[in-house]
Amino acid sequence: MVDWGIIANLLGGAVTTLWISSVSIAVGAPLGLMLAMTRVWRVPVLSQAVAVFVSIIRATPVITLALFVFFGIPAMGLTLSPTVAALITLSINTSAFHAEIWRASIMDFPQNQSEAASAFGMTRLQAFRLIVLPQAWRASLPPMVNEMTFLIKSSPAIAVIGVVDLTRTASRIAAYTYDPLPPYISAAIIYAVVVFSLVRAQRVIERIIVRRYGVL
Amino acid sequence: MIDHFVRALTQWPLFLDGFFNTVWLCVFTAIVSLFLAMLLVVPLMSRLLPVRATARLVVDSVRSVPFLLLAYMAYYCLPAIGISLSSWAAALITLVVYNTAYFAEILRGAWSHLPPQQEEGGRAFGFTGIRLFVHIIGPQLFIAAGPVLGNQLIQVIKDSAFLMVITIPELTFRANQVQSILFVPFETFIIAGCLYWVLCNSVEWMVRRLDQMAELRRAR
Amino acid sequence: MSDDKKNGTPVLQVRNLVKNFGDLRVLDNVSVTVDAGETVCIVGPSGSGKSTLLRCINLLEWPDSGEIILRGERIGFRKNDQSREVRMNDSEMARIRTRVGMVFQQFNLWPHLTAFGNVTVSPIHVLKRPKQEVEAEADALLEKVGLEDKRDEYPIRLSGGQQQRVAIARALAMHPDVLLFDEPTSSLDPELVGEVLAVMKGLADEGRTMVVVTHEMGFAREAAGHVVFMDGGKVIETGSPEEFFSNPKTGRAQQFLERYR
Repeated sequence: MVDWGIIANLLGGAVTTLWISSVSIAVGAPLGLMLAMTRVWRVPVLSQAVAVFVSIIRATPVITLALFVFFGIPAMGLTLSPTVAALITLSINTSAFHAEIWRASIMDFPQNQSEAASAFGMTRLQAFRLIVLPQAWRASLPPMVNEMTFLIKSSPAIAVIGVVDLTRTASRIAAYTYDPLPPYISAAIIYAVVVFSLVRAQRVIERIIVRRYGVL
Repeated sequence: MIDHFVRALTQWPLFLDGFFNTVWLCVFTAIVSLFLAMLLVVPLMSRLLPVRATARLVVDSVRSVPFLLLAYMAYYCLPAIGISLSSWAAALITLVVYNTAYFAEILRGAWSHLPPQQEEGGRAFGFTGIRLFVHIIGPQLFIAAGPVLGNQLIQVIKDSAFLMVITIPELTFRANQVQSILFVPFETFIIAGCLYWVLCNSVEWMVRRLDQMAELRRAR
Repeated sequence: MSDDKKNGTPVLQVRNLVKNFGDLRVLDNVSVTVDAGETVCIVGPSGSGKSTLLRCINLLEWPDSGEIILRGERIGFRKNDQSREVRMNDSEMARIRTRVGMVFQQFNLWPHLTAFGNVTVSPIHVLKRPKQEVEAEADALLEKVGLEDKRDEYPIRLSGGQQQRVAIARALAMHPDVLLFDEPTSSLDPELVGEVLAVMKGLADEGRTMVVVTHEMGFAREAAGHVVFMDGGKVIETGSPEEFFSNPKTGRAQQFLERYR
């Protein structure tokens, strides 16, 4: 009754979704941190440019961004594969959200500690590296995991530009078996499992942090 | 590049059509989903475990599936089990079902953080059931959850773009149409991006104004 | 350890300091001199500008006019190539701040570091001293303030008095020319005040150069080399503790001390 061929296909698509999402986060999160720091440190010109960039990207649907990257970049003369376009799209998209997450947790940072750091002769960079960042990352962790679930849920946009992810695999199977229910429902279940796991992981991480450091 | 922009802008009727389709899709969704969410939040907060658990399962399941997949399911799977739908109907059903779950969860969160004095005070003056909700709890929920609801509304705007894959002529669909006719993809999608930016920031501005007004009336 | 008994030049000179916050004049022509090995206690009612004075010395606040001179070097300003005075930049100020130790009213320990970590982080990363040397000294300092068994505890597990003592060890680890204390016991529960004052008295007896803003008159009476009384942003009266506490010369000082009889 269960068609294992379909399941295997879908799992292959799921792997594609997961690896592309993971790489995009691995690139987007640090990129978001750098964007946030230009704003926190009020770097002239750059911080305003970043503010505009973040504002635009956060207002743009992922699928629109994907089409922009996939069709727009070749129009400027460079060729790129759907996979690369997908990675660029998701990385840029998530970096804008991470920029806001980092900015919030860093601006929120208690001033008295930064003052003490300053009083002890630390430069801005030293204070950030030794005092602010080691603590701010903890407050950023739950929203970052949250952003990961958002990324996975918007990742089907890459199916539209030709990446054979979980959604596109389901569409293909539905198309050649003329039976849409099994592949789509199975795909939905796989996505749900991944998202549930991430949400679970987020709660566990929060609990560990509170237990180890006493505070988030 | 400027001439590309000009060329893209000659298709302004298409852009406008897409823009307005996006707008009314979102307005419709917001109104209907919020109403249904208010109904759904009651079982979600129920003291009876089986009721609450079922509602919880439904909401969590809908919230853990990507919107695009849900749209495909409405468009392809429902006809397969005998419910034939136009693409518009499928789109609206997907938007409404998906966002009812999200709005219900937001309202539930606001309700669980509401100071219990609110409900107690209402009951002390004889409010029960629906009246309690309409006059006491409901308004406070919306005041408390305003910004988060606004955020979700922005998400609705962005999710609506996915509907292009089931041939709904909203903004991204139209933009894609323009770029395939005129071969100016860079400029076309920049125009679309700007329109989305205007839309999202209008919502955000409105939410901020409402939030300022709500600040005076907030329960602490 | 640094030798604070130099040849008689004051370690710290504050001359004619003026600071305004908007139209409020918080420091009005304030001058204070601190000699080597001396403990100066600054007392006065709330809002008299005492804390602002301290924060100016450490450049956490910039005075509007006046000079602060640390061991002959003017803080905050240096001479540029044309021998004109220009403001110091961030890294120069950072260097100056390492020579002025600060103990805050709210302790301001860094919560993600243990007591040991708090004491060692600045000497290692800012002063760039060798790790082993810093760590050995940190252990000695924690022992000095009576907290060697709390070395690996995070601030959240320490009482207020213990946190403040770690803060003192942290400041000492920088080998500063002068130690500033900004109402160090005002945030503490009464029963914890004594342990911190004991440490501070010990430092004063050792001959450290200290400036202490405090409401603890008993401490001032016992430990101060001289007392500075401030009110409304001005220095009203100064004198040895014997003079000030038994025979205040000005009316305002007399009024102020009434409260502590």
